[in-house]
Amino acid sequence: MKSFSLKLGLLCLVLGASSFRALALDGAVVIANSSVAADSLSADALKDIYTAKTKYWDGGQAIIIAVLPDKTDAALQQASGMEASAFKTFWQRLAFSGRGSEPKKADDATALVALVASTKGAIAIVPADAVLTGVKKIEIK
Amino acid sequence: MTTKHSAHKLALSLTAAIMAAGGAQAYEVPLTSISSNMPPVDFHGFVSQGLLASSQYNYLTPNTKDVSTEFFEAGLNASMNPFPHTRITAQAFTYDIGDVGKYDLVLDYASVEYTFNDAFGVRAGRIRRPEGIYNDIQDVDLARTSILLPQGVYDARWRDFYVAIDGADLFGTISLAKAGSLSYDVYGGYINPSMDGGVAQLLRNQLPSFIALNSLDSDPEFGGQLWWNTPINGLRLGVAGGGVLPFNFTTTIQTPGGPIHPDNRSDVIFQHYSAEYLWKAWTFQAEYLTYSLYPYAAGQSATHIDSWYGSAAYRFNKWFELGGYYTEYYGDMDHRDNSLTFQKDLALSLRFDPKPWWVFKVEGHYIRGTGLLDDNADNPPAQQNSDGWFMLAVKTTFSF
Repeated sequence: MKSFSLKLGLLCLVLGASSFRALALDGAVVIANSSVAADSLSADALKDIYTAKTKYWDGGQAIIIAVLPDKTDAALQQASGMEASAFKTFWQRLAFSGRGSEPKKADDATALVALVASTKGAIAIVPADAVLTGVKKIEIK
Repeated sequence: MTTKHSAHKLALSLTAAIMAAGGAQAYEVPLTSISSNMPPVDFHGFVSQGLLASSQYNYLTPNTKDVSTEFFEAGLNASMNPFPHTRITAQAFTYDIGDVGKYDLVLDYASVEYTFNDAFGVRAGRIRRPEGIYNDIQDVDLARTSILLPQGVYDARWRDFYVAIDGADLFGTISLAKAGSLSYDVYGGYINPSMDGGVAQLLRNQLPSFIALNSLDSDPEFGGQLWWNTPINGLRLGVAGGGVLPFNFTTTIQTPGGPIHPDNRSDVIFQHYSAEYLWKAWTFQAEYLTYSLYPYAAGQSATHIDSWYGSAAYRFNKWFELGGYYTEYYGDMDHRDNSLTFQKDLALSLRFDPKPWWVFKVEGHYIRGTGLLDDNADNPPAQQNSDGWFMLAVKTTFSF
């Protein structure tokens, strides 16, 4: 009985830790279009966006995810909980079943920042050294 | 036949067009020429062409023993968010697998979706029906490792019966805090089985020659899908259930006293259990489906069917993935040792992604039993046995 209580306690500790995690993206930051009202997001809220559980910003504007394939894969995995290939497959499933739109893709950091700057509701993970022009940086708490 | 060949040429032309476009990107068309306030429309599409070859039976196509290329799918969809919380989307689709599909162009889905919040939304129109891991994407080759999904659970010929309904779907995700979250769908509507579809083919195959299949009804279907997104990252567990109440088709029996139209109604009830775990570069999946048919006509007994599979896939790098599954299907749960009604399949799949917009796959199957052939004309029952047989599948998909 004592052993069971100990295991249960450990399980709660692990589950609790996972739901209050802080997120540090490897060499990357989160940016959004200037139309987005939010200045910060929790790690869980960011994950909900990247796993399609949250599809709209407060106010109803559609969230448009933009990605930089190959160059921010580690940070994307930290944000979404999925490897890059699984992330791509996940969104293809949504797109072709009528439940979502695939993330928009950019070829380099400059193009990604420009894409986010010109797309209402857009959000993206960009390399930390990218020049952020016309976009807002989102703090991840 | 000429029409079918013309359709195939059109499909191949579409393939060439997509290849020429070389599109890793979706196409976005601004509607500013219509109105400066109109949001852009996103377009996505795919074209898949496959090949099937079998060592012993004409499975899935009438010519599989001689190598068949009657294995084609293409879809083109568009979506937009015209208002806050609102999304409109539609997809045109065409396919051919053996005698099923025949390149008929269909409106695959067309729906309006309003999301009140993360926990509650509604979509209505023609919608893809969520069931298990793959039902609403079973014909999207690029969204999986294998070419053929486990056919007892996701029969490639039955998409007209399984995939979409005309109706509505309530959906959402409810946070369970430390326990993860629950994603749900509850739907109701009408199915639209085609006389060129797999169910019609199955019925024609089963009916005695003196009974003619006249039509398939658009029948009401209700159901739901629940996913528990567990606190363990990448692990989700699902349960689905529902039914077609009733499934009906009309037949004619010619008798000396005139034609007779028997009562063919049956309630179809299904349960579907799923588990999926994404861990690092691995994908593990397992599902169990069971469904029963309860005929209305007096004297007819119920039929109980089930199928399951377990699969694993590993992504080595950007361009190569290896996967495999083992699946069993029992067309009569009361007689699990009858090779004419069971089918067991061990599959190994190689997936190559040479470009983000190009997928190429090769797959081998070792199969025992003939329970899913559903084509006695091309596979006389007297020649079917319990010996193992092989099948090769090759498929390539272009998408944007």
